[in-house]
Amino acid sequence: MNALAALTFRELKSLWYSPIGATVSALFLLIQGVVFWLLILILNDPRVDPSWNMARLFFGGFFYWISLFITVPTLTMRTFSEEKRTGSIELLLTAPVTETQVVLSKFLGAWIAYALLWTLTIVYFVVLRAYTPFDWGPVAAGYIGTLLMGAMLIAIGVLTSSLTRNQVISGLFAFVILLLIFCVGILSMFVRDPEAVAIIRYLSLPDHVNQFAKGLLDTRPAVLYASVTAISLLLTGRVIANPRWRS
Amino acid sequence: MLLRRRGLDKRLSHNHNDSIPTNTMTAAIDVQQLTKRYDAVTALSDISFSVQPGEIMGFLGPNGAGKTTTLRILTGMIAPTQGSVRINGLDVTQHPLEVRRQIGYLPENVALYPELRVKEYLDYRAQIKGVPGIQCKKRVQAVMEQCALTDMQRRLIGRLSKGYRQRVALADCLLAQPKVLILDEPTVGLDPHQIRQTREFILALGRTTTILLSTHILPEVEMICQKVIIIDRGRIRAVDTPDRLRRSLSAFGVVRVQLRADMNQAMPALQQLAGIAKVSRQGEADGFFMLDIEPKEGQDVREPVFLLASQRGWTLRELSAQRASLEDVFVHLTTHEQTTEGAVQGAPA
Repeated sequence: MNALAALTFRELKSLWYSPIGATVSALFLLIQGVVFWLLILILNDPRVDPSWNMARLFFGGFFYWISLFITVPTLTMRTFSEEKRTGSIELLLTAPVTETQVVLSKFLGAWIAYALLWTLTIVYFVVLRAYTPFDWGPVAAGYIGTLLMGAMLIAIGVLTSSLTRNQVISGLFAFVILLLIFCVGILSMFVRDPEAVAIIRYLSLPDHVNQFAKGLLDTRPAVLYASVTAISLLLTGRVIANPRWRS
Repeated sequence: MLLRRRGLDKRLSHNHNDSIPTNTMTAAIDVQQLTKRYDAVTALSDISFSVQPGEIMGFLGPNGAGKTTTLRILTGMIAPTQGSVRINGLDVTQHPLEVRRQIGYLPENVALYPELRVKEYLDYRAQIKGVPGIQCKKRVQAVMEQCALTDMQRRLIGRLSKGYRQRVALADCLLAQPKVLILDEPTVGLDPHQIRQTREFILALGRTTTILLSTHILPEVEMICQKVIIIDRGRIRAVDTPDRLRRSLSAFGVVRVQLRADMNQAMPALQQLAGIAKVSRQGEADGFFMLDIEPKEGQDVREPVFLLASQRGWTLRELSAQRASLEDVFVHLTTHEQTTEGAVQGAPA
């Protein structure tokens, strides 16, 4: 097993053993349980057309964003903050691993955990599919979009974690940034210039998710996510390479 | 203890120059003109020393002297402002991974992952240290046996006592069979029994490995180390064997005298004796007066004192040069005219 895999596996293990991992999973599943219950309520309503887009009910709703806003900061807040606070970062950075490997492992650990949580909800669709016909396409697009968007948000969370040795501050910081990114779309109501509106639309996460839920997997948001992920991780690398941070 | 400061310093720095080998090609640790500044604060200024393969080098200094800073530069944790560090001939800043592969580092603050079990942690460390897959299991077993951790392998690290945690960290150091061990205060916080075990362990390791041992426990250095570096306020004050350091101080040390005589005559007579800088009365017991005689630089005053006593008919019960301990050397070299506060602020630990 190479070093990156070992580092990532350690991240996942620590998350799994820590109370944070258990709490986040429990809360996430609780919220998703409510979502499932609502889905069934809606689908049982005779006025609802059963062929109504299942994915649009699930992705992009109120609970979807709540789950995202809870899981991302809690999964990322400890990555660097905790190591910095306890001092275990010293043994990590004096081991024969590169800073790139360290940053990537923190990111991958949180991202894989995030992906695992969302993967659990696939069961809902499997169950629902037995009772009502719907198209798998938009559902798959919704999951893929959620994973890619999650990569970006997690990279931002890892960056905020590297900036402070206090987990709570790091989590709050990530939460607020997520919230601001989420709200970018609101600006389009105050801008008249069509080009500016187009840019704002391009950056607006709810718009993206609505597209995914329609089964539209566009490369444009994917490029945005990939670039923000890359920039955040590069910045994290710069932060931990900083002599002031290390002393 | 009263000492002639300048003379001793000269002598110590002379020794220091002697001990730096001109040929440093083969040194296990070679530090040249190392300087570390934090903004306006200079934590290390122009430090040079080398440790030969197989040597156990003590690294002594008061808190804030720059010990930990030096060790962190050696392990590549922080970069030096100036100067170079070579481990087995490899530059730390140019070949960081190779160097870290050859070093086992025990930091001052042993922080492990409390949620992992001992064996789990060592497996993980073996993997990131690049111990080949087939050997991993064997190495982990071997270090656990070496550090008496086999019975504890299923324990959560967070539940271990300080002593065991230290052992886990030490086991981790040894996993990749490093050629150089850098140990930052390995016995701090351990009970006397554990301290003794750790010392014996380090001594045993020293037969095959180069060790740089930072500490401020002086008996430890005398027991374990072949050579000592004394550092203070970011500068090297002395490099030598503990024995020679002690002797260099004793040569100028105080002579303790006990005699029965009329003090009104004896005191002035002694003070007039050539080679004596100062005589001070320390007390009286069974009619004998205890005197501490501080000689002038480089003088042995025991013979003149004896001759004077026999000539005047004084009864002499004790005439002994006080043997300096490493502690005296340490205190002497690291005591400043100014307050020590400056030193504490001077360098972040």
